[in-house]
Amino acid sequence: MLFSSITFLYFFLPTVFILYGIASIKQDITWRNLVLCVMSCLFYAWGEPMYFFLMLVQVMIVYGLTCYMEKKRESATGKVCFTLSVLLPFASLFYFKYTAFFMMTLTSWLPWPESWIKSAKTITLPIGISFYTFQLTSYCIDVWLGRVKLQKNLLSLMTYVALFPQLIAGPIVRYSDVDKELSDRKTTRENLAEGIVRFTIGLGKKVLIANVLGEFVAEALALENRGIALSWAYALAVSLQIYFDFSGYSDMAIGLGRMFGFHFPENFHYPFISDSLTEFWRRWHMTLGTWFRDYVYIPMGGNRVKKAKWFFNLLTVWFLTGLWHGAGWNFIIWGLFFGVFLILEKVFFGKTERKSSLLGKIAGHVYVVIAIIISFLIFHAENMEVAMRDIRALLPGMGMEKVQLETALFTLRNRLGILFIALVGSTPFPLLVWKRFFTWLRKDVVEEIVKAIGVVVILLLSTAYLIDGSFNPFLYFRF
Amino acid sequence: MVISMKKFIKHNLIILGFFCCIAGFMLILIFGEKETNSISERRKLKEFPKFRVKTLQDHSYMEDLEAYLLDHFPFRDNLRSMKAYFAYDVLGQLENNDIYIANGYAGKLEYPLKENSVIKAAEKMQAIKAQYFPKAEAYYAIVPDKNYFLADKNGYPSMDYNRLKSLMQERLTDMTYIDIWDTLSIEDYYATDTHWRQECLGETVQQIGDVMGFSEYLFLDYEQKEIEEFYGVYYGQSALPLSSEPLYYLTNETIQMATQWSLEKNKIQPIYMSEEETGFDKYNIFLAGAQALQRIESPLAKTENRLIVFRDSFGSSIVPLFLEAYKEIIVIDTRYISPSLLGEYVDFETENTQILFLYNTLLLNNSSMLK
Repeated sequence: MLFSSITFLYFFLPTVFILYGIASIKQDITWRNLVLCVMSCLFYAWGEPMYFFLMLVQVMIVYGLTCYMEKKRESATGKVCFTLSVLLPFASLFYFKYTAFFMMTLTSWLPWPESWIKSAKTITLPIGISFYTFQLTSYCIDVWLGRVKLQKNLLSLMTYVALFPQLIAGPIVRYSDVDKELSDRKTTRENLAEGIVRFTIGLGKKVLIANVLGEFVAEALALENRGIALSWAYALAVSLQIYFDFSGYSDMAIGLGRMFGFHFPENFHYPFISDSLTEFWRRWHMTLGTWFRDYVYIPMGGNRVKKAKWFFNLLTVWFLTGLWHGAGWNFIIWGLFFGVFLILEKVFFGKTERKSSLLGKIAGHVYVVIAIIISFLIFHAENMEVAMRDIRALLPGMGMEKVQLETALFTLRNRLGILFIALVGSTPFPLLVWKRFFTWLRKDVVEEIVKAIGVVVILLLSTAYLIDGSFNPFLYFRF
Repeated sequence: MVISMKKFIKHNLIILGFFCCIAGFMLILIFGEKETNSISERRKLKEFPKFRVKTLQDHSYMEDLEAYLLDHFPFRDNLRSMKAYFAYDVLGQLENNDIYIANGYAGKLEYPLKENSVIKAAEKMQAIKAQYFPKAEAYYAIVPDKNYFLADKNGYPSMDYNRLKSLMQERLTDMTYIDIWDTLSIEDYYATDTHWRQECLGETVQQIGDVMGFSEYLFLDYEQKEIEEFYGVYYGQSALPLSSEPLYYLTNETIQMATQWSLEKNKIQPIYMSEEETGFDKYNIFLAGAQALQRIESPLAKTENRLIVFRDSFGSSIVPLFLEAYKEIIVIDTRYISPSLLGEYVDFETENTQILFLYNTLLLNNSSMLK
């Protein structure tokens, strides 16, 4: 089920609130967890009726293995249980996400029968499998390392994994993030109001900005010859669409979590204002970055090794980051693209990534924006051939006929408004203006009224867009 | 008092606004009266999906339910208008759902020219000619869509019409081209619809008649009848409160005495379908709208000639104006019938038969619709 669907907004969500409200009458949190768990299962099964059982079985296996592992921690059986608890979710992820890709990649060395490849291509990807696999494995590792206590209550573990706000597109919530809140949390008016505001902002980012940018991207993509101006606008729109789509979803997830008393980790923090790619990745998909840091990079030795091994560690992490995003060479190249640039930044700038002079900062921003734009062209393209065509189009040299020029200019003029809004919206500027204005006004009541009106207006406008069109795919569902 | 008011507003107003919206719409969706048709969008609204295990497994139940909820959402038309205003006025878009308004006319963007599509259309026309009437003289005319008159002048892109015409002419060398473009202007089209206005087609009919040699039989003095409040197809798509316009149709004794038989309905009907005056699309009054194959008999025609017209929806309103000159007119729309089946229903070899292909530029640019 999509957050940005009528079924979710006007049926599922009110129903969950009603049931959760009833469950809250009882002091015992089990009832609230039960409501969230059952409704989360319904939420997932609504989108993936068959694969719901896959998730259910995985959670039960991990539950059994971790319980047994805890009992036999010192023995070889315990180690086997731990290994299995990590390997099984990854094996499932590999099967559903990468089988066809690896078979096709290795086909020149291992000549599989054509029928094998054909049947591998028919495997469909369960929604959100990349996210819940990472959550399950991080839980297993953390329990094994003693970072968190074993969850003996299957309902609580299932609630953690299946929790609908973050189940299918993140942020990647670690067990330690919600451990305490699974057994003790309160839904206060403050939590509820802040959650509503955050959710509505996310909904607006997704429906009013990302989807409209998506329309622009599709229009530009359909043109035979875009010309240099539209090619740059297209490339910018691709980056902004991915940002607003994904950060919008994260905002909705964090907001929903807040409404039910959970505090999920932040996932984005104005990545486009970064002046180095290292900083960009501290602000972009933060929960994925920290997951790879904590469960891959640091266990490999991180930067406390010889330089060559350090670079190898970095490239491995970025190879895996790319692969996590999709079973395709463009995703792997996208990941390695960042890996190479991050190594170069570390070699040339060391730890002083931030340039002190204004000129240095401007140069840093220009470099980051260009690198990000190129990287997302690779990310967004169907394959590397298309990506290279899109990147070449950014360079001058391709002539245009009059009709093509007029069409390209119209497409650009038609979408300048949304590009401007998205560009400004990707910076802290609107929030800064908001804060300054209401600090100057010193009227909390007015701010509350404006917020309430804003919530209703964004909700209605988003609904209006959903009703009027069907351009509504979440980009990150395929991961 | 002030403090308690402040206390109440803090958080509660946001919570109240949000929950009033989601719960309010939910209740109206559940208990509100459901329409079966959307007049503005000219279509039947989705029915509540029937629950079956199979539809649950293949996910179609969820998709159908979402479609049902979208169709029956309270204040649907108002919300669509809200979206249109937001797109125009806040985002500064020049179109909404590809619909733009210029000089009081609504047009739908159609660009660029799809050369392959135009070539395919020409090939399909040629194939029909080669199969059924290789030696007969055939004519073709292209109807310009509204963008030809509106788009370029108002800064909107449009297809390369000259290229379209030359692509057709290069391929249809054994047919006679009738150029009707100079006989038309934007005023000859409905403001809210794709189509041309029948009452404005005098010059166009004359031009076709001159080339095909039937203009001397034409009787261009008709009684003009009015149907009020016609909302064209772009009215619903634009989601803007555009004004309605009258739809006129021309009639005389010849048209009133003529009858049409259609393959789908297998019954004889009048040329103008009065029951369509209350239907979704009032333009369907002309020859009952989209039909695969029709045989029109005109007992008061001034000749014994026969005409076979391959047409799209533009043909529906112009064909009645040919009835003075032809005893029988066969009207074929190959979007709804495969050309390979035509031999079963139409005799192409009767003497005194003329052939006319009449297609509009929008169809030629999307010729995959033609079978």
